[in-house]
Amino acid sequence: MAEPLQLTVDRQAYAVEVDPHRTLLRLLRDDLGITGPKEGCDDSECGACMVLVDDMPVNACSYLALQADGRTVTTVEGLGTAESLHPLQRAFLDAGGVQCGFCTPGMLISAAALLRSDPDPSEEAVRDALAGNLCRCTGYQPIFAAVHRAAAELRGEPAPTG
Amino acid sequence: MTATIERPFPRADGPAKATGQADYTGDLTAPGMAHGRFLVAGRAHARIRRLDVTAARTRPGVFAVITAADVPDRLYASSGFVADRPLFARNVVRYEGEVVAAVAAATPEAADAALRAIEIEYEDLPLVLDVERALQPGSPLVHENWAGYEKDGEIVAEGNMAARSTIVKGDATAALGAADVVVRERYVADMIHPVPIEPHAILAEWSGDRVTIHSSSQVPFAARTMVAETLEIPQHRVRVVVSHLGGGFGGKCDFHYEAHVAALARAARRPVRVVFTRREEFTMPDKVGHGMVVDLETGLSSDGRIVARRGRILLDCGAYAADSPVLGQIACMEAVGPYRIPHVDLDARLVYTNRVPSGSVRAPTGPQTCWAVEGHTDELAARVGLDPVEFRRRNLVTAGDEGPTRQLFEPNGALRALDEAARRIGWGSPLPAGESIGIAAGWWFSMPSASGAFVRIDADGRGRIVTGAQENGTGAVMALAMLAGDELGMAPEDFAIVYQDTDAGPYDTGSAGSQTTFNAGRAVVEAAREVRTKVIAAAAEMLEAAHADLELRDGAISVVGSPDRRVTIGAVATQVQDDGGLLLGAGSGTAPTKPEHDASACVGRLGFEAFASPTFFCQAARVKVDRATGVVRVLEVAAVNDIGRVLNPRGAAGQITGGVVQAIGTALTEGTVYGADGRQRNAALLDYKLPTAADAPTIDVGFIEAPAANGGPYGAKGVGEPPIVPTAGAIGNAIAAATGARVRRLPMTPERVWRAMREGSDGAADPGGPLAPAAASAGEPASGGAVPVGASAGNRR
Repeated sequence: MAEPLQLTVDRQAYAVEVDPHRTLLRLLRDDLGITGPKEGCDDSECGACMVLVDDMPVNACSYLALQADGRTVTTVEGLGTAESLHPLQRAFLDAGGVQCGFCTPGMLISAAALLRSDPDPSEEAVRDALAGNLCRCTGYQPIFAAVHRAAAELRGEPAPTG
Repeated sequence: MTATIERPFPRADGPAKATGQADYTGDLTAPGMAHGRFLVAGRAHARIRRLDVTAARTRPGVFAVITAADVPDRLYASSGFVADRPLFARNVVRYEGEVVAAVAAATPEAADAALRAIEIEYEDLPLVLDVERALQPGSPLVHENWAGYEKDGEIVAEGNMAARSTIVKGDATAALGAADVVVRERYVADMIHPVPIEPHAILAEWSGDRVTIHSSSQVPFAARTMVAETLEIPQHRVRVVVSHLGGGFGGKCDFHYEAHVAALARAARRPVRVVFTRREEFTMPDKVGHGMVVDLETGLSSDGRIVARRGRILLDCGAYAADSPVLGQIACMEAVGPYRIPHVDLDARLVYTNRVPSGSVRAPTGPQTCWAVEGHTDELAARVGLDPVEFRRRNLVTAGDEGPTRQLFEPNGALRALDEAARRIGWGSPLPAGESIGIAAGWWFSMPSASGAFVRIDADGRGRIVTGAQENGTGAVMALAMLAGDELGMAPEDFAIVYQDTDAGPYDTGSAGSQTTFNAGRAVVEAAREVRTKVIAAAAEMLEAAHADLELRDGAISVVGSPDRRVTIGAVATQVQDDGGLLLGAGSGTAPTKPEHDASACVGRLGFEAFASPTFFCQAARVKVDRATGVVRVLEVAAVNDIGRVLNPRGAAGQITGGVVQAIGTALTEGTVYGADGRQRNAALLDYKLPTAADAPTIDVGFIEAPAANGGPYGAKGVGEPPIVPTAGAIGNAIAAATGARVRRLPMTPERVWRAMREGSDGAADPGGPLAPAAASAGEPASGGAVPVGASAGNRR
């Protein structure tokens, strides 16, 4: 039986009814048409579906939609736009951190969550924060560089070289 | 060539991908779309006794249920080699992921319920899982009717041997007999999966007698051909379109399920979309990297020069041949390696088993074979008391040397890549306790093939490239704008690219064989040059200048030495249009030819008897081995590549860092685990472990530019596949350097490393005795499955 659910996704408020077993990912992709978060495994293994619930990164494939009741969800689509990229999005592009792009939505969300809690992360902190997001294209190195570059920009410092 | 190439440029698909706006096939919907699901065998080898879909068809919300009875009764050869496969199982299932039926329903849940309502009874058949036993007389057959299959005339087959390839030069028997030292070893590699993060997805919709298939394919033109053939409809009525592709690594090469979904949509009378689950992604598509057994026997002179090599290679084909028949030949070439060896006798047999079919996963057979050869190379060096780098230096090919079939090498970067990788990793310098370094060299081919492009400049001064090439994520198609811009004095950002749509672009092989820049680049350059000629002719009239005095730069045409005499390219396009013409160009270019060679002593010649525009590379890995647990951590990899002229440094470096990390998975954690029932035990990402961000080493990328005279644009060679080839070899050599134990099983898991350290054996047997010479008759297996299996690893004469 469907239950009422109110939530905000990417600054847009929604009031919907969902079945209790429906995942947040199905709600976003199939009901709300927000296909930025991807489904790579449906089992919290790849991280492509990652979104922020309030400030916490979660695998939306394994998070019930009803758990987001009254909360604020941020997907990759809410980080920035093509005309006005979030510093992380721009840094990913500038550093070569986007190849096929399928992991990118989740990778960006994990990185955004990290920088919200740790504006000046160590190399090890970046690796740990992204360890739940599989990338098969880049070898991660350009992504690490992108996160450090965006972190510097967000702190108002010049971009690190190299 | 002017200003634009060799500089980083923004990839045109970047902003959409970084903001979640880029649609992948699984993101697409269509009005009235049904959800498709497949019923797969779930058992590795069985006869279908009864199949009844009546109850499933009448369930609520079910639009269609189809089986073999609903498609033409024919077998197909997905890459033109062996017609051994039906779309849906007919009578027999030969691997666990074989498709038996397909369902289209209003919701995924209704489709799943319909799958459960299909009534099916099986009679299990004997399993064929071991490649050596499969070749023995009396083995059960995976294909009872193998002899009656239509196949390429070059293919040599017998029973479970789907194909055999040899690379033979000189007299290996005599040379091994006369050698000062002979070393024999066996290396065994498990199957590996490509694992793109995007699973397969297909959406098919019919309009009258035409079908549009959106597919996560690396090879849309091949898919179109096979849909037409298997469904017996004219090719021009099939359009294959690829949205953004979420990686491929070969897993999305070849023809997969486009025809199934097209047939399902036709039966359901509405669009149907199928999105694979991760489990299906592991167990269904006919694209895994081959499980391999590599026996090597190499003779040396006492001063450390390789005089002869014999190799016997078995490749686990899985249940259907797909494009594997050609890959044994590549394995033979890889088994010679980038070394000068006067006498070679390599023999590869492709063996049908009841496993998921293998095929051309990124650098097919390369990582496994190079790992074996490079481990073997370090063992050879040790036998003659030479440092591994010095040993390789004495044996790597240089300009003027002969390849395995006597192709002559032009100047190349093999030696310089070795020295540069050694320098970058600090070869010979003291290391912290517990750390060690290994090095591995390799070679790979570039793949000449047909490709075409149209280039135009519109009156607004913007360019448009229409290509048949397929962007799998590498940026190779995005980089075509750089090549066109270079010819026309424009920036890459001035071009839009129309790609991966078989109705729009001319034929292209697809993102396979590292061929996009190599071939599609050539086509775009030719098309852009045609436009350039028209631009210069028109601008010469407008500026009243001689053709030869004009230069194209920064979006304008100007007279050399008189920068004020200048028109923009948009003004030229407008003028040409006003005069009744257009700035259009078309190109396909002429594919580079293969070097001259002599393959007369070889069988199974399917196109890789010689390597066109070969690339050479060397990687060195610094690792730390936990001696208590066998866990290996890769700390640093220096990867140095001769890929010819480097046109797109950021793109090329991205291929190398990505390839190295993928190959670390191959080296240490990735390998298919099968149960005795022939079903995969680790068909999930927690069990089949890809390297994560926490596992990634520091990667130091270097290039040695040795442009190919007969290569791609400006002397470029292929770059997508080579970086994955040598990594496992370098890591294996580093493990041996750290532990004194040689791990001869891939992946080199903690258990195998631990066993090799503690027990002197990693569980792999070795050949035990001399390898048998190749049989004279082309049809006869060289050693008849009789490679003797010894009890201990590292047994040497």
